[in-house]
Amino acid sequence: MERPGKFILNLYPTTKFLFAFCLMMTPLLLPGYLYSYMVPVLCLVIALIAGKTKLYVNFVLKGLVPIVVMIFLLQSFFYPGDTVLWSWSIFSIKQEGIHFSLQLTSKILAIGSSIVLFFQITKINDLSRALELMGISPKATYVLSAALNIIPEMRLQLLRIMDAQKTRGVETEGSLTIRMKAFVPALTPLILSSFSSTDEKAITLESRAFTARTKKTSLHHLEKTKSDHVVRALLVIAVVSILIGRFFL
Amino acid sequence: MSAIEIRNLSYQYPTGSEEVLHNLNLTIESGKFYALAGVNGGGKTTLCNVIRGFIPHFFKGERTGKVLIEGKDVQDWDPSDLAQKVGFVFQNPFTQISGVKETVFDEIAFGLENLGVEVDVIRQRVQDIIGLLGIGYIQDKNPNELSGGQKQRVALASIIVMEPDILIFDEPTSQLDPQGTEEIFRVIDIMKKKGKTIILVEHKIELIAEYADYVIVLQDGEIKKQGRTEEVLADEATQDFGLGLTQYTLLDLAMRKQHMHTERIPITEGDSVSVMKQWMEFQGVKA
Repeated sequence: MERPGKFILNLYPTTKFLFAFCLMMTPLLLPGYLYSYMVPVLCLVIALIAGKTKLYVNFVLKGLVPIVVMIFLLQSFFYPGDTVLWSWSIFSIKQEGIHFSLQLTSKILAIGSSIVLFFQITKINDLSRALELMGISPKATYVLSAALNIIPEMRLQLLRIMDAQKTRGVETEGSLTIRMKAFVPALTPLILSSFSSTDEKAITLESRAFTARTKKTSLHHLEKTKSDHVVRALLVIAVVSILIGRFFL
Repeated sequence: MSAIEIRNLSYQYPTGSEEVLHNLNLTIESGKFYALAGVNGGGKTTLCNVIRGFIPHFFKGERTGKVLIEGKDVQDWDPSDLAQKVGFVFQNPFTQISGVKETVFDEIAFGLENLGVEVDVIRQRVQDIIGLLGIGYIQDKNPNELSGGQKQRVALASIIVMEPDILIFDEPTSQLDPQGTEEIFRVIDIMKKKGKTIILVEHKIELIAEYADYVIVLQDGEIKKQGRTEEVLADEATQDFGLGLTQYTLLDLAMRKQHMHTERIPITEGDSVSVMKQWMEFQGVKA
């Protein structure tokens, strides 16, 4: 019997995408915000089973939650309404604002956490290969893979630049102000070096016959299994049930 | 038979104010090992880019003259056909990683996948190259997490595995320690023995003396000196073009100044031992 975590990770990339897509779309079909707020929790459970909890929580807490909190506060204060719950000076929180904020942020959290989960349980190379097998041009899948891989590369480059600045006596550690002061001047060399490395990367691809007109082969073997068909069937049943429940009952 | 013919080649970069290559004429013989040497900024990398066809396919600018591979100018070659004909390992190992492969094994296989080589053949060829370069211990690592020296070896493997007839190496050992450098030269020598034409940009003169058949000295975009390695590196005047001589040559030249004339000027260790033995025998000194 396959471990549940392995079962999830071994699913075909498009099956995982369909699952994440359903998680993203169902909150838009269902009224209220309770279900939508359940989606990040459901994603957390799946991440836990797949052994990706740390990365998932990290991305959600550092990437999603600050945005959601900011939107929630802004909408609560500035959304028009008559039922004032609390006010101070020109600021006031209205019940309508709270309601709208809950609706909006629940959808953002549901969509965001589904995307985060998808990229945690799907290898970029698997996704690229699956897209290629669907007939998408290798150039397009390369752009996708390179774009997703460029973030850790740029982070490493930024660390290198910061280290270089540190050796020249620039303070890079300490309070937020000190770190910001060190970070901003590092952006120019980071962006310039990224441009120049893009040029060199293009030559690298050229030297590896990337533009060859022959049909490419791949060491990357991907195959849909019985599990994929079962998951896809369950997804269809779930979505159809939701649609029937929402519009016909 | 000539592998590359360069006729009256001049080139100026689009943003440059003057030519970086002036009226070069050169014949590269098939199956021979050529070392391109000279001071920095002399035009060595630009010449490599012209031969590989990155100029004018990638870098624009003004190119005049002809660079013929198999009788056809590089600018008339299809870029993908040229990739199979001429392999190029660049100076900077950090940008020679495709950025889309998760293991060194897959990274090396990338070029062969693009050429549509059968999967079984790819696996065999990649395994052979990994064995040849002794990089089996990193084959499952992420290429982006390698050190400079490891990336340089992977970059070299990624090009050699495509088995091009002409191989251009632009300072392929700049990130390597002496032992790593020796290993790379051993591999380049194996490529030469397989009949590949080698063009190597390198500053390590002892290794050029040991391995190269011919030396071309470039300075200010002009060929200042060219000829068989033993001729160019045994000539004191070569130093005028910013190129050092090997310690064996310098010792022999110093001896000559003391009127101790050997039969010929050695350029390598083995050569030096043999010349010194002869000289000592001639002088009646017991070795």
